[in-house]
Amino acid sequence: MKSITLGQYYPARSLMHGLDPRMKIILAFIYIICSFVAKNIISFGVLFASAFLLIALSKIPLSLILRSVRPILFILAFTVVLNVFWTKGEVILFEWKFIHIYYEGVMTALFMVVRIFVMIVGASLFLTYTITPIALTDAIEQLFGPLKKIKIPVHEFAMMMTIALRFIPTFIDETDKIMSAQKARGADFSNGSLAKRAKVLIPILIPLFVSAFRRADELAIAMECRCYHGGDGRTRMTILHYRARDFLALIAMLLFFAGLLALNFLKIGYTM
Amino acid sequence: MEKENYFIKTENVCASYEEDDGKSCEVLRDITLGIKKGEYVAVLGHNGSGKSTFAKLLNMILAPDSGKIFIDGVDITREDMTEKEVFDIRRKIGMVFQNPDNQLVATIVEEDVAFGPENLGIPSDEIRKRVDEALATVGMTDYAKHEPHRLSGGQKQRVAIAGIIAMMPECMIFDESTAMLDPVGRKEVMDTIDLLNHERGITVINITHHMNEAVRADRVIVLDDGKVYMDGTPEEIFSQPQKLALAGLEVPQCTALIQALRKRGIKLEGECTTPEKCAKLIIDALGGSN
Amino acid sequence: MAEIKLENVSYVYSEGTPFEISALEGINLTIKSGIVTGIIGHTGSGKSTLVQMLNGLVKPASGKVLIDNKDIWENPKEISKVRSRVGLVMQYPEYQLFEETVRADIAFGPKNMGVEEKDIEELVLEAADFVGLDRELLDKSPFDLSGGQKRRAAIAGIIAMRPEVLVLDEPAAGLDPSGREKIMQSIIGYGKSTGASIVIVSHSMEDMARFCDEIVVLSDGKLLMSGKKEEVFLRSKELVSVGLDIPQITSVMNMLSQSGIKVASNIYTVEDALSEIYKLF
Repeated sequence: MKSITLGQYYPARSLMHGLDPRMKIILAFIYIICSFVAKNIISFGVLFASAFLLIALSKIPLSLILRSVRPILFILAFTVVLNVFWTKGEVILFEWKFIHIYYEGVMTALFMVVRIFVMIVGASLFLTYTITPIALTDAIEQLFGPLKKIKIPVHEFAMMMTIALRFIPTFIDETDKIMSAQKARGADFSNGSLAKRAKVLIPILIPLFVSAFRRADELAIAMECRCYHGGDGRTRMTILHYRARDFLALIAMLLFFAGLLALNFLKIGYTM
Repeated sequence: MEKENYFIKTENVCASYEEDDGKSCEVLRDITLGIKKGEYVAVLGHNGSGKSTFAKLLNMILAPDSGKIFIDGVDITREDMTEKEVFDIRRKIGMVFQNPDNQLVATIVEEDVAFGPENLGIPSDEIRKRVDEALATVGMTDYAKHEPHRLSGGQKQRVAIAGIIAMMPECMIFDESTAMLDPVGRKEVMDTIDLLNHERGITVINITHHMNEAVRADRVIVLDDGKVYMDGTPEEIFSQPQKLALAGLEVPQCTALIQALRKRGIKLEGECTTPEKCAKLIIDALGGSN
Repeated sequence: MAEIKLENVSYVYSEGTPFEISALEGINLTIKSGIVTGIIGHTGSGKSTLVQMLNGLVKPASGKVLIDNKDIWENPKEISKVRSRVGLVMQYPEYQLFEETVRADIAFGPKNMGVEEKDIEELVLEAADFVGLDRELLDKSPFDLSGGQKRRAAIAGIIAMRPEVLVLDEPAAGLDPSGREKIMQSIIGYGKSTGASIVIVSHSMEDMARFCDEIVVLSDGKLLMSGKKEEVFLRSKELVSVGLDIPQITSVMNMLSQSGIKVASNIYTVEDALSEIYKLF
């Protein structure tokens, strides 16, 4: 059970891995906005291509990314059906009884699919594949630090994330042990109806909860002993520093954004 | 007894906790003790003898019902302790607990060691220095970037110790810190504790029920039924096996052997708590009788 | 009663991943019935995996586990029957308590085995007696017991299944001396009065020397030695070389014989050492 890794961090040395975690959050944000800026076939084409450029820059195998898109295939299919059958337009492509399929509908469906694909790929590249959960937590705390002034508990949120990340492997381990212990007492977790199976979870869940509370209690005391008193007056050992490449990446992303806006002025084909 | 000579001083301390059914349960009665700077004290007692409560009183996790506690001359039972003074006490008296998993906060070893100093508001480069130094002291430098859940129990405890050392404490309390470890882990931790006391001059209070750990201390305090039951050097304490047995404790096998031989009328000079000393005593006695 | 045999048993963790660790390699071992067997080895030597194989919680990657010469994995659907014949008390078993009352918790095992309601009460009371748990405590919540009582209640939960082999992984870990003594005595007591075999994993060589008849030593997933405890402790140098302790008294006796004093080498209790050394004077 020591092999648990959290998140989908893919260790590699790439342009994208080397960016400051805070910059990755900013870039992910701008990139997602970009996907909403595209309006016509050219800008959507460029957007679609950009996703593959990002994948190349991250050195993450394409197969791995495509596998992570699989769970959203249903949403994509749903979007296609919705747009193809329900969007009304002027140019009819297909007509049969009550079904009318318009050119506009097909194009909208295509654009929506590209938009969702780009959003998912962008967000997962910037925020999961090239960044460890703990670096993300740190980045969130340091990037959104100023929000503390308007009483948003940024530090507390980051602390909770850190502790959760720290203890998830411990709990997985513990669940395993408790399951073995109950199996040794003849508990059967594999057979029976759904209701019966829900019932057999009790001998696992109760000890797990009891243990979680005990751990929380002990951790709280240990933290108090180490002078923890919230985020006020707290310093950090590692302070993140932006480097030139971070700003270059930002400029590139902004240029891409401006470029997409400009492409929208081209009057080609269907415009969303 | 003059307060100034003691780093930790308790006067007639009583403490109790409330059980779930509202009954109040007395755990410490009339504890009067003094512990000097640099002393290495083992606190023995069976489960429920009040050992852990005693430890938690010293760094203000719990408050006594009555009595006074002085840390470095400061009365910590005062009503008007400021928050800053409380943190100062907790910094001076570091605490390492039993379960190694439940005291590590961060997902990376060095981040965890930095946790205490960060709370104290120490500048970044100073924290870096302290963390590196603390990890070197406990011999965990090579593991600085590791995830705590992949370490062994003994290694986790050493990280926890490093986390306290980085706060520059004057005293460290080990609350059954080896109870969940295997012999290898226990040795790692005990060697670290010895080093902190002998080379760093840190006052050590080791709460344990392992007699073989208690013999490493300069002084042993036995708590029973919430009272100080015995107080002396390990040799003095372990030469009274009957008295210890009444408190639910036993003496190390070697000590028991020497005492049993003596009971049978064999003259053995001195006390012993380790196999080496025990063998030497017997060899010396045999040499004399031949 | 049941004799457990391991034939060329191996086990690998996280097979096929970079974290692959070989936990056990080619273990051949017989755990005789009706005696107390001790298993020693440092952390990571494969002890825990081994004990979980004895009751079919872990299936060997290769090799066979036989109880009374019958392969326990012959019919995997019947494996839960093995678990009641070979009762396993895991490390820190108090963390598995979950029922509203101690009574119900001890009854969990027998209930899963399909024991009839009227017989369960009997088993529960007997199990509580074996571990020295006051009957008054049976109606309390297990979470209100003291640490030592919780441990005993958890062990009673296994004893209530009336196993022919009782396997315990570090049954006394973390307890104070009198708690340790009580637990060890009740385990040995169960073996004596029912004829069941006992298998104990422990780091305490003193306990092993006192209570066990035979000892199995594991090191790095391999069987280093097994046999009568006298034979095993004779090879104290080998034990020390793989990072294990020997009883304090045994090391005193070894030091004596090293300095030319003639003493028997099979001594590991204070009583035996006393009479052996007393003879010298």
